[in-house]
Amino acid sequence: MSGESINLKLKVWRQNGPKDPGRFEEYQANDVDTSASFLEMLDVVNAKIIKDGGEPIVFEHDCREGICGSCGAMVNGKAHGPKDKVTLCQLHMREFKDGETLVIEPFRARAFPVLKDLMIDRTSFDKIISSGGYVSVNTGNACDANSIPISKENADKAFDAATCIGCGACVASCPNASASLFTSAKISHMALLPQGQTEAKKRVVQMVDQMDHEGFGHCTNTYHCEGACPKGISVENISRMNKEYLKAKLKG
Amino acid sequence: MALSTLQKKQLVAVTGLGLVGFVIAHLTGNFLIFKGADALNDYAKFLHDLGGLLWAARIGLIAMFVIHMGLTANLVINKIKARGSNYAKFENHAQKPSFSARIMPFSGVVILAYVIFHLLDFTFAEKSGIINGVDQGLYGLVVTSFMDPLHSAIYIIAMAFLGLHLSHSLQSIFQTFGLVSVNRLNTIRTISTAIGVGIAVAYSSIPVYVLLNF
Ligand code: HEM
Ligand code: FES
Repeated sequence: MSGESINLKLKVWRQNGPKDPGRFEEYQANDVDTSASFLEMLDVVNAKIIKDGGEPIVFEHDCREGICGSCGAMVNGKAHGPKDKVTLCQLHMREFKDGETLVIEPFRARAFPVLKDLMIDRTSFDKIISSGGYVSVNTGNACDANSIPISKENADKAFDAATCIGCGACVASCPNASASLFTSAKISHMALLPQGQTEAKKRVVQMVDQMDHEGFGHCTNTYHCEGACPKGISVENISRMNKEYLKAKLKG
Repeated sequence: MALSTLQKKQLVAVTGLGLVGFVIAHLTGNFLIFKGADALNDYAKFLHDLGGLLWAARIGLIAMFVIHMGLTANLVINKIKARGSNYAKFENHAQKPSFSARIMPFSGVVILAYVIFHLLDFTFAEKSGIINGVDQGLYGLVVTSFMDPLHSAIYIIAMAFLGLHLSHSLQSIFQTFGLVSVNRLNTIRTISTAIGVGIAVAYSSIPVYVLLNF
């Protein structure tokens, strides 16, 4: 099914590598099918750049169905673009008007260095996860399903927290470049479940320390992150992280 | 041992809560102005007669103020470092942060400027003011000061910023100590705004009262 088509002007951040200061470059994107996704639009622009002998715009992507967390950029100042609760790959060109100028730049944070153009290095997120985002599992026979009772409310909240895809939109939108929403979602996801109790105290302290160590900012409870999260993760998780942290520090 | 950003925030919240306590206590004291010159002057005398205790309270207050400001300044520096390079364009999503949340450092600096002005204005000033030919001491000082509309306006504007600061910070305390759940979120935010606005209006009622009655 093809929709209408629109013409757009793109101002895209081009940066050759982490040390390059970078600059904006302008591209004309003509006859953009409004039923195309944002990444498909970039594919078409790239095809033309390659044909003209240029270097294509580098951006990250994998699933293109909003579940892997690879994609993401700031479009006109908003993480993942103007539509709420979608990733960039799930954003469609019908959200834009003919003749519009789009400013496209990478998620910016000291802990997310730009690798090239719109592609950033999110190893800092991986380090937060590996510092404590795991549970102990008994080896041996698989245990029976449903042998550990979990309240419906906690199961739901843990599941909601677990829908975080780690895209980094929360960091990108936070005035302090804080990773609190991400880290707290990962902590909550386990802290709410019985399986996560063994390492509960160690986990929250180590993950928070790692978050600071990676150079993310602090949370000032402005809640920009919740508005920008493509999965609608709640700041209630940050509150839970704060409580878990205080508990762990007070009880040692 | 270096404090984590989370611990710094929890200290900001504790000292902030202490300052809120002071603001409320101070407000109730100030309300004696409605009872007349003797009530206010006697209360001021009572405070001054506490001597050592008053100084202990003052030192506690100053400590809270300094810790609160020092840590927030530190966090602001941290925030600039954490972003690294600035966005060419930045906009809020549909679910926007409140106005009071966005101007916290600014409203904080206004309060600091106000506190310095206020201390010079009343605490370190000569406690005298002549109303109807009689020197009415501290009461006279406050009343004659607020009879000047510009003087009153400075106080009312400062109180508006205090109200904004508190509107965000009270709900923030709950979040920082992990007492927020989704179902209570809106209630907590509404109560916080109500108390912030309430304190600003209550303080402002004093200069307004003077302007209307003297
Ligand atoms: C319209 C509002 C206010 C009025 C009329 C007022 C009035 C006064 C007066 C008369 C004094 C002097 C008492 C004395 O030393 O004899 C005083 C002291 C003081 N006020 Fe206020 N005040 C107001 C608001 C505030 C606010 C909002 C703050 C702080 C956030 C504040 C902070 C202080 C401090 C720190 C002192 C010194 C206390 C001390 O010396 O121990 N005031 N105020
Ligand atoms: S590419 Fe997987 S979430 Fe967008």
